[in-house]
Amino acid sequence: MKTAKQAGLALCPKCHKLNNVTSEPIQCSRCNGLFYQRNHHSLQYTLAWCVAALLAFIPANLYPIMIVYQLGIGEEATILSGIGEFINHGLYPIAIIIFTASIIVPLLKIIGLFVLVYKVHTGVRLKPNKHSKFYHVLELLGPWSMLDVFVVALMVTVVELGFVTSVAAGPAINYFTITVLFTMFAANSFDPRLLWDKKSAIQTQ
Amino acid sequence: MGKWVNINDMNNKINTSLFIACQQCDALYDKPKLKQGQLAKCNRCGSTLIERKVDPVNRSFNWSLAGLILMLPAILLPIMGVTLAGQFHQASLFDCILVLIDRGFFMIASLVFLFAIAVPIVRLAGALYISYSFKFNKLNPSLLQFFRAYHHLDHWAMLNVFMLGIVVSMYKLIDDTELSVNFGLLSFVFWLICSTMSAAALDQDYIWDKLEKAFTKK
Repeated sequence: MKTAKQAGLALCPKCHKLNNVTSEPIQCSRCNGLFYQRNHHSLQYTLAWCVAALLAFIPANLYPIMIVYQLGIGEEATILSGIGEFINHGLYPIAIIIFTASIIVPLLKIIGLFVLVYKVHTGVRLKPNKHSKFYHVLELLGPWSMLDVFVVALMVTVVELGFVTSVAAGPAINYFTITVLFTMFAANSFDPRLLWDKKSAIQTQ
Repeated sequence: MGKWVNINDMNNKINTSLFIACQQCDALYDKPKLKQGQLAKCNRCGSTLIERKVDPVNRSFNWSLAGLILMLPAILLPIMGVTLAGQFHQASLFDCILVLIDRGFFMIASLVFLFAIAVPIVRLAGALYISYSFKFNKLNPSLLQFFRAYHHLDHWAMLNVFMLGIVVSMYKLIDDTELSVNFGLLSFVFWLICSTMSAAALDQDYIWDKLEKAFTKK
């Protein structure tokens, strides 16, 4: 299998036009955008965004994400205690959805990208076929972590009955959105073509 | 295999319009000739190489026009309301932004505005402008920049996530309040469908090919 890189060509990430590589960054002959043959410093950027996301994920879980005021008395809830409340009320499907969207998906993305970066760097047990599919899943799951943010935003807006009941967002919401955005940046800066490059480099050695 | 290397050695310029590379794994293929509705997949990683959509211009024009019309009721009509202890309160998507700003949650206010209002609207308007220019043959070179900018927003429309957010918060509220659903929710669902369909109907390869034929100087 011949790749575009071996033939001295590069694919424009925006308009998918093949260009002859002269000097990087390459200017696309069709849309005039500047780009690199592979994402520029892909592994470093991915790693950096992942570490930042992981750091922001800690306060996101420790601080309260939502504060419910009833008759002037505030009750704080973190992400995990909110899920616990759903389980107590017997709302299992919602508990599973929230747990998946706000705990499993961000952690899976961060850990998964760490693993992918490690595999590309070392080439240990690299299966580009499986790993690129895994990357694709990570990329698709990304935006769904924003679910919790939208739920809190809606609750704050709809449940606004003055003194009787009102809902406020806690400080964790900011850290959580930062986590989600950073994992999306991390996934965008990873380049799955590096998996195949590394594999063929190992095979020809 | 040998053929490729020879071409490369003889002259540095390959006619790039004869080939196509996979976006996911960079495998190089001869460009296939497809009919409308057909798609080509990469042998190595299985992702879609190129797809020719059916009637791309008319379909994306209609879907994005419908989406832009539905945008107003979806944003301005109340999505849902709560009744508790005799008090009634309802909120639309636009109220959502105003209340969040009012109470000082600027970060989530700007995020909801960006991902659930601004990006979908800009994408719909962009799709409408592009398909309008193609439908009535009013191509001009600035479309190259415009369509490139349009692709920057590919990952950032989150209407579907917001829809799930509405469902989850309705579940949360239904337990201890009286919940009422309004026309806003209905038009929001239709808006979501229209914006998804207009993005899916837009044939990027077709549009780029046409733009290239019209404006590349050679």
